[in-house]
Amino acid sequence: MAFGLKWSGTAAFCATEVRVQFHEWLAILTGTLVQGVLLVFVWVLARDILPIALVGALVYSVFLIGQRVLNEAAYVRIDHKLNELYHASPMSPEAYFIGMSSGIFLAYLPPILVIAAVTLVVAPFGPLPWAVMVACLLAVWSVSSSLGYFISTLFRDMKTIWPYSSLITNLLGIVPPVFYPLHLVPEGWRWLALVLPTSSAAALVNGAAGLEVLSSGDVLLAGGSLAIEGIGLLFFGIYWARRAAREA
Amino acid sequence: MREVALEAEEVRKTYHSRSGPAVEALRGISMAVGKGERVALLGRNGAGKTTFLRIASTLLAPSSGRVQVFGLDVSRMPEEVRPLIAVVPQEGKPFFHLTPREQVYAYLRARGIDRETAKARTEQALEQMDLGEIADRLCITLSGGQKQRAMVATVIATEAPLLFLDEPTIGLDPFARRSVWESLRRLTRSGSTILLTTHYLDEAEALSQRLYILEEGRVLVAGTADELKHQVGGTLRVTIADGGDLSESFASFGTCVREADSLHVITGPERINEILALAMREKLSATVGPVTLEEAFLRVVGRSIDEE
Repeated sequence: MAFGLKWSGTAAFCATEVRVQFHEWLAILTGTLVQGVLLVFVWVLARDILPIALVGALVYSVFLIGQRVLNEAAYVRIDHKLNELYHASPMSPEAYFIGMSSGIFLAYLPPILVIAAVTLVVAPFGPLPWAVMVACLLAVWSVSSSLGYFISTLFRDMKTIWPYSSLITNLLGIVPPVFYPLHLVPEGWRWLALVLPTSSAAALVNGAAGLEVLSSGDVLLAGGSLAIEGIGLLFFGIYWARRAAREA
Repeated sequence: MREVALEAEEVRKTYHSRSGPAVEALRGISMAVGKGERVALLGRNGAGKTTFLRIASTLLAPSSGRVQVFGLDVSRMPEEVRPLIAVVPQEGKPFFHLTPREQVYAYLRARGIDRETAKARTEQALEQMDLGEIADRLCITLSGGQKQRAMVATVIATEAPLLFLDEPTIGLDPFARRSVWESLRRLTRSGSTILLTTHYLDEAEALSQRLYILEEGRVLVAGTADELKHQVGGTLRVTIADGGDLSESFASFGTCVREADSLHVITGPERINEILALAMREKLSATVGPVTLEEAFLRVVGRSIDEE
């Protein structure tokens, strides 16, 4: 039981969440809509950056998992009060948090795999960029899920939560260089793009695939930031899940 | 002496808010629930029932005081307490996109119960809650009462030694309520302990072996329904419609309890004729019935349970 964490029940709750999400198949289907629309724009306006946009679409799709965790955790807590059913049980708060976020991840995996398949066709990367991609996407999932879960516990009304959900998605998913190349960002702001979890992930994958030229300093900054954010926020998410399981 | 399942000592809870004054929800609650007992917390909205239940079920930290579940302190050892309890939250709803069968089974699996046992207990709980015919329909398509029964089924299937049920029959029709009561009685016969909150007086009377009346965060009185009714001072109740202003005229016949425009006179059988005669002289209608928990509640709290 590393770090005193208890994972019993995680798989069962993950399976529950997959089942719940699959009933909303339309939401899963439309989950790729924004990415699809952005890719069409890129196809029409700047076809040469399509591989970069596809990498961005993958990063963005995984980042959206956090928004869904936010909405689901808030809905289950505020509208259904089911968090109390689970928190007053042997299943640990960390199992609840990870079970929910991994269940949502698995449910939304099919559209992500579709984008990955398109990427394979349009820009056939080697194994290294794909390995970097998987590592980066896991870090992005960790960051976004933890942020989403944290925010979901802060409010007592769904309507208050919705603006935060879209604010974070747009500020971290659309504005930074996720769908467009890093080199278009003014030099003075480049560090910020390399520190943000979404754009650092996109930059690292693009760098590994040869779609962007990154200095070793860039790689260190982006990789270090993403690793710290991914691991740090995962532990914070677990800490917060435990704290939120019992109101002060 | 019966083994104690839950013991609370001087539990206090104050909610602090940035936007308003602090609210004292619990002002020193003490109680004990024996193993295998069914105990009800009865009180008006805001009396502190849910706050106490949430503290006892490890979901809320008390400001002071101590609650022990089977000898384990819920504040200091929540992880040890949680396997021993299960909770039906107030206004809790099942996952809308699961069927009742999936809801119960998934919850048992999340609690670490093996597949075979979970399957068997799921079927048993569905049957007990009379959910057999709708067990494979998505919960979103069920009525409010059916959803509530699915929640109760989820919790009773755990067979946890101590069950907390916060308003478990709210929204249920009379038949469904009786079916829940029967299931809860059966559970306590097999050794489980139940602490429930309710503001249904008939439920508290029919279901609980003992009850605590809470008001403004305090326990006003505790005992069996019969003990509480005896405290009222008689065995019969005469309700005089529109007699609210005549309590002085009827005071000599027994205990007068005013409820809105009506007056309840609690008395013995020997005074009934005199009271009815006086009511007739005043041209008021009167009905006679046995003393209920309602009179006891009115007497103890001074207000009707439905009064805001």
